[in-house]
Amino acid sequence: MKEHLISVFIDDELTLNEKIEFVRAVCDRPGFKDATLHLIAQEQWLRSEIVPSEHVPHTGPVRRFGSGLRNLLRPALAAAVVAILAAVLFYPGSGTDPRKVAHRFVVYRPDAGQVFIAGSFSRWEPVPLRKAGSSGYWELTLALPAGEHRFTYLLDGGRMFADPTLPAREQDDFGGVNSVLRVGTG
Amino acid sequence: MESFEAFFTRHRERLFGYLMRLTGDYDLSRDLLQESFTRYLSSYANRDPNPTLLYTIARNALLDIRRRQGRALHTDVEPTAPGDDPERRFLVREQYRQMLSALEKLKDTDRELLALAATGDLKYRQIAEILGISENGVKVRIHRSRVRLRQILEEMNHERASDQRLHRR
Repeated sequence: MKEHLISVFIDDELTLNEKIEFVRAVCDRPGFKDATLHLIAQEQWLRSEIVPSEHVPHTGPVRRFGSGLRNLLRPALAAAVVAILAAVLFYPGSGTDPRKVAHRFVVYRPDAGQVFIAGSFSRWEPVPLRKAGSSGYWELTLALPAGEHRFTYLLDGGRMFADPTLPAREQDDFGGVNSVLRVGTG
Repeated sequence: MESFEAFFTRHRERLFGYLMRLTGDYDLSRDLLQESFTRYLSSYANRDPNPTLLYTIARNALLDIRRRQGRALHTDVEPTAPGDDPERRFLVREQYRQMLSALEKLKDTDRELLALAATGDLKYRQIAEILGISENGVKVRIHRSRVRLRQILEEMNHERASDQRLHRR
């Protein structure tokens, strides 16, 4: 008997002939039926939707700095960085203000000297991201009010780019493209 | 031709689930997810969307990380569980961590087979292409891997039951 038909059934890959063989086995062999049910239950666990299990509460304010969208490169910008530690995605209401949602911005730009983010949540003032070691990643976690936010990343020369992980985008008034982020809206 | 946005939306969560089953690390999986889409977009945006290619890129990105940093199983996640009952959440979390630990005991290819199949995103033909094995090999090995996973979970349950009996003496 082809026991592997149980997995082919789980994976929706049975041919018509195999479907006949499978149904007969389930009806005629209690052991086969039990094994099928057990492996389906195991697969349900394996395919569970997962969420992070730890909260890290909001521990301080966000200090913003910088002169504006088009005047980025001051040494002071790189020195005056503050990030808020907060829960990762899908846990709204963490921190001292239950109406704010922690969101972690991550971008992979190993070629950059510095990456900034500017958006509606920072009054479009650029805020520097932190470099995550030598991995090439840059990150910043901010507590954002629930709702819709627009933002863009900026490379050291001022070149703007949208978040590659967010499909929602829109044109801005300067010929660029902003990403649209929705947090805490279900 | 499907737009990249539609392609991204369709595969994002499932690719994330694949990475989570292999790492158990929520933050690492999110980072690898972003890196995978970034690499895909930078090299293949002008081609027809190809999920096999996307998963291959993600797999290679994970292999790169493991070569540099080694493998450490993190279990800082849990399945979603209805209600706020802390006892239920504890049991659900412990069961899921046990599942991740059991996955770690499988051979690498067997674990990858199960992680790819569990996405529901890929046909056996595509899984075979990603892993460099035959389609018939995928069909047979996936079942063996599931059965082996079941055996490992049963062994872990027996060990825990034995430990608990010892501690009660």
